[in-house]
Amino acid sequence: MKKFEGWYNTNYKKLLIVPILLIILFSSYMIYFYNQNNDFTKRDVSLSGGTSITLQTEISADEFTEALSDVFPDIEIRTLTDNTGKQTHLIILVPEEKDKIIEAIESKLDLEITEENSSIEFTQGSLGDEFYRQLIASMLFAFLLMGLVVFITFGESKIIKAYATILTLIAMKITFPTIFAISFLVIFGMIVTPIYGLYFSSSKKSKWILLGLFVSFVVFYIFPYYPIVFIIAIICLWLYARYSAPSIAVLVAAFADILFTLATINLIGMKLSSGGIIALLMLIGYSVGTDILLTSRVLRRRNESVNSACLGAFKTGSAMTLTAIASIFVGLMFIYRFETVLNQIFIIILIGLAYDLLNTWLTNVLIIKWYAESKNKYDKVKK
Amino acid sequence: MMFFLGMSLLAIFGSAHSPYISLLQTGILIDNVKENSSLFDSGVRANQIISFINDEKIENLKDYNSVMEQYHSLGDGETKKIIITTKDKSEFVLLARNTISEEISLSEIPKTRIQTGLDIRGGARALVAADRKLTDAELDDLISISQERLNVYGLSDLTIRKQSDSSGNKYMVVEIAGTSPENLEALIGQQGHFEAKIGNETVFVGGNKDVTHVGRTGQDAMVTECFAVQGGESCEFQFTIFLSEEAAQRHADITDTLSINGSYLSKKLDFFIDGKLTESLNIGSSLKGSTTTQISISGSGQGATREEAIESAKQEMKQLQTILITGSLPFKLEIVKIDKISPFLGEQFTKTIFIASFASFLAVCLIIILRYRRIKLSFIMLFVALSEIIMILGFSSLMKANLDLSSIAGIIAAIGTGINDQQVIVDETIRGKLESMGVRIKEALFIVFTSFATIIASLFPLFYVGAGLLRGFAVTSIVGVTIGVLITRPAFADMIKQMEK
Repeated sequence: MKKFEGWYNTNYKKLLIVPILLIILFSSYMIYFYNQNNDFTKRDVSLSGGTSITLQTEISADEFTEALSDVFPDIEIRTLTDNTGKQTHLIILVPEEKDKIIEAIESKLDLEITEENSSIEFTQGSLGDEFYRQLIASMLFAFLLMGLVVFITFGESKIIKAYATILTLIAMKITFPTIFAISFLVIFGMIVTPIYGLYFSSSKKSKWILLGLFVSFVVFYIFPYYPIVFIIAIICLWLYARYSAPSIAVLVAAFADILFTLATINLIGMKLSSGGIIALLMLIGYSVGTDILLTSRVLRRRNESVNSACLGAFKTGSAMTLTAIASIFVGLMFIYRFETVLNQIFIIILIGLAYDLLNTWLTNVLIIKWYAESKNKYDKVKK
Repeated sequence: MMFFLGMSLLAIFGSAHSPYISLLQTGILIDNVKENSSLFDSGVRANQIISFINDEKIENLKDYNSVMEQYHSLGDGETKKIIITTKDKSEFVLLARNTISEEISLSEIPKTRIQTGLDIRGGARALVAADRKLTDAELDDLISISQERLNVYGLSDLTIRKQSDSSGNKYMVVEIAGTSPENLEALIGQQGHFEAKIGNETVFVGGNKDVTHVGRTGQDAMVTECFAVQGGESCEFQFTIFLSEEAAQRHADITDTLSINGSYLSKKLDFFIDGKLTESLNIGSSLKGSTTTQISISGSGQGATREEAIESAKQEMKQLQTILITGSLPFKLEIVKIDKISPFLGEQFTKTIFIASFASFLAVCLIIILRYRRIKLSFIMLFVALSEIIMILGFSSLMKANLDLSSIAGIIAAIGTGINDQQVIVDETIRGKLESMGVRIKEALFIVFTSFATIIASLFPLFYVGAGLLRGFAVTSIVGVTIGVLITRPAFADMIKQMEK
């Protein structure tokens, strides 16, 4: 153990190559996937438009496929069974309108589709696209806001924190133009913060940075184009990197969680539903929990070595994640056969939590150790 | 914490139908009574609780069915006396035919006030959009018209609301629990057909061609005068509608043939929506044969006080205006999403969810006990987690929120976070012995609070997307973690402190 600790202390920076390689690997797969499908993921009918029919029938899925596949080439059929394994329902998914598929089933399979024997869900393509777009926007946002919270908690300069807040609010206003409270907050912040910042900041360089930020506020506020959100995200990331490495570590870990999970979903050919995107959001929340535990243990505990703080956090954090994995796995086993939206939510969380173990206890630990040790050295030099 | 726990239990199990605890209630609940049926005419209404039929005590649906058998075996045209007594001791006596059971739909009294969502309970939900962006007033009109049209079907559990999303799209959301009318799509996806007839002849139909304008503000629509009547007040209202030349001519031709009966004409002006009669108005005798393009429509509303009377007059007026603008809204409708869920999976699924939650709870118990090897501590952790579930359910019962699948996912998320936070608190306080207890607790709560803030931050955008269909998840998870941070986590930290002393 001692030996390992010695080796770890001298070589830990080299270990960073593992997460970097993984991120490159998964990113290139996602880029490849994007080129193939023109989208980051395959969407199910709730996000791309189409019909889903759950039908109480004893006719087998094969018979359905045979009868319908020439008219509906993209048809997808799943079978629900009861406890004994007997088929009870079929779930039929097609990208077409509902009247078309109902008519085809009724005429070709000589079945009547009634309110008693079926559940039908239809989403129009344009609405599916709109949902997808909004959910992606809300994911982006979840990221920005989460980064902001971590930065406000662990970051260094109060004024930069205020600036980051206003930038995030502007990004929010651009994405959700209908919420008025945000506009009010933005204008209030835009007036107060620069005055306060320029008055109190001491060095010339920071004055220039603040001035630059203020100009960008005004520009962003006057030209609320959607791509600006990305520019704001980049500026925020830069601010976080410059003023607080721990926030970047948390963001990197959360990003890697999402990236790895999405890539895995694509690899196993799962089609993402709106529930799936919810699961990804839940994942951000869960993964950040352990990251924050780690960060605050290392940064706020002065009378303990970095290694033992990390180890302590690891014991608590891994137990937390494993508890979550176990309970979700057990729950999933029971409800799996109902094929509801919960299945996808649970599966995505399971995959994500497994990756989170890696990303928190390898990636994040390494970055935070690096940061804490260089900071210790810096503090010593200063003394 | 105990206080909130008690309140939540009361919120879940308190009865919606009487001040008693619903677990102890007997009888069966009337969900719906068909309009114009013999039961309806004798005064039986939805939401009453049947306790006796012909002096036989009715405790559940089985009792009901055995009592009703004698009526089902009646021959066609035969009748038999039936006495229905409700919980509030009202008695309804009528002659029942063999079709009596078809006039009414019943269910057992719900054991809790938790309302399950459409995806579990069954029902229909539609999201309707227009072919262009609507103003709030237009959307309000659309909603009141749809309400008017769907009310004809006497649906017991119908909600129509407006919903906007982060891109400024506005939708009308129609939700119907249980069975829905067969022509639901046509009812909500089209504007409906309005006709005004005198006798069998059509005077005008909905749409801008005949009715050019319906006065709804200022001088064109108002409550004119109020006066005392027996038992309260009565207020008159009046509003103007503008007809096209053609419609005015038709009106003149038709009224010309009518005879005068007192101060009114011999036939009434009948309003039909989708072929169903909704209102009949008297026509003033002065209008006989006149080609006026301006018609003023008047009526009255009654109430115990003047305010009530004015309010009811306004209501009446609004209803008439709504009928008149049916079919004349300047946009086309489109059903962008429709879900018709049959509850065949519902009951089985709800059962399984309970089993699944219990099993995952056991799994959590096992891990906690194995990890800490302290029975008392594990017991407290699990007790706190359980109270959290109860509080979330209590809160959603109070808010009358529908628990759909995504809300269940939200509860799971909140509980998971709760268990995680408790582990942080325990580890921070029990393991590190270097600082004082107060400092350790503070440190633990700092971590808990920061992760709470990030979770809120990451879930908050969900409130504004997806036409509100994912709000269930956002609400339960945010409520869950907030209850956690404000109530159960500090309480838990306190318990740990007590235990360690």
